[in-house]
Amino acid sequence: MLELNDVSKSFGGTAVLTRVSLALNDGETTVVLGPSGSGKSTLLRTMNLLEIPESGCLSINGDSVTFGGSLTRKQVSAIRRRSAMVFQGYNLFPHQSVLDNVAMPPVLNGKADRAASRARAVELLGKVGMSHRLEEYPDNLSGGQQQRVAIARALAVEPDYLLFDEPTSALDPELEAEVIRVMVDLARERRSLVVVTHNIGFARRVADRIVFLADGGIGFDGTPEDFFASESERIRRYLNVFDAV
Amino acid sequence: MTDFLSLWADSLPQLLAATVKVTIPLSIIAFVLALVVAVLATVMRLSRIRPLQWVSRFYVWLFRGTPILVQLFIIFYGLPAAGITLSAWTSAIIAFTLNTGAYAAETLRASVQSIPRGQLEAARTLNFTGWQTVRHVIAPQALRIALPPLGNDLIDLVKGTSLVMVITLADVFQVGRQIAATNFQPLALYAEVAVVYLAIFTVLSFLQSRLERASNRYIRSPRA
Repeated sequence: MLELNDVSKSFGGTAVLTRVSLALNDGETTVVLGPSGSGKSTLLRTMNLLEIPESGCLSINGDSVTFGGSLTRKQVSAIRRRSAMVFQGYNLFPHQSVLDNVAMPPVLNGKADRAASRARAVELLGKVGMSHRLEEYPDNLSGGQQQRVAIARALAVEPDYLLFDEPTSALDPELEAEVIRVMVDLARERRSLVVVTHNIGFARRVADRIVFLADGGIGFDGTPEDFFASESERIRRYLNVFDAV
Repeated sequence: MTDFLSLWADSLPQLLAATVKVTIPLSIIAFVLALVVAVLATVMRLSRIRPLQWVSRFYVWLFRGTPILVQLFIIFYGLPAAGITLSAWTSAIIAFTLNTGAYAAETLRASVQSIPRGQLEAARTLNFTGWQTVRHVIAPQALRIALPPLGNDLIDLVKGTSLVMVITLADVFQVGRQIAATNFQPLALYAEVAVVYLAIFTVLSFLQSRLERASNRYIRSPRA
């Protein structure tokens, strides 16, 4: 279980998250929706400690940190090994081949030796449909291919939770579909996914749960059915934007 | 023309000897040490400890802001007044190391800072340690960016070593001057010295372009 309790985060005096509490269950796909600037990415980055809130606490499957004071390297490491992030901009290491991008992290984390890690990387890259580009450098791949490699890299460190930060926002529809297919497969395997996205179709089709952020807090937390049937003016206004498109 | 060529042939062994004994070793030693100094200065400049940042900034400010000739004079002729007497070789190595190190430090700092933030975030989320991030993410990418300017620093250093004649070292330029003073053929001799420098420059340029090509192998080619 991933739990955030009373988490607050501000940037330059502007509150982005205000006393947010959330408990996510293992094996569920949670989609985080909300208008731009509502704190979706900040919430997700808090789960991986890329953002450190001013107060509150975070725990993932037994490892926990309390915000407000300085965190030790050991505390940060314990939380980070529980999750892995897939970024909007992929953030693959451009100087490493596709295979090395996926095989290196577990070796550096001390989770596997080089040979085992490479074998596992080949397997994961096959899973995301990238077996044919193992020795290629990221710069020679399309955006969709890079994102699939990034997903394989995130899987390689065997996280409890996979965090997706608008993973298809930078992709055109055709490439977006490639990535969505991989994510749907992961959801069907009952992996624990937390997905920040504007892809309403994905939320409707795949989410077990939708968290809607608005005005620094959680405006909705429930099933997709309830979310899309909601009469809340804030949610209707948000969904109408997509209907208009 | 024949006289010109025979003059060159007569003086070439002496010029090459000076190149091999002074210009090249001085350049190599000073450049290697300058890289070490530059890495240290860069680490200090990018550290979170303010006094270390100040020391690094002061060093770069001092050695980029004063001419290498003045630095050579201070170290070789000035320091003995403070009780520190150094040989010409030692003085030259110190001056060129510190001077080139200051420029290289700026190059390295800019290279490290030009690496996209997302790269560091990816390393963090993958739970790399600080050292692993430097070794596997920052250094390989920063080095690629830094190679062209560092190559220029080395070429500037090689040419700059012609100044060591003012502290009595017999480099290729000084030996050329001495020969010109005895045969009264300054045009021929200085042109020959220039050719020696050009030859060194050509070799360094070739090596630089090979290194750059190797380090750019992961950048998408225009045909891809």
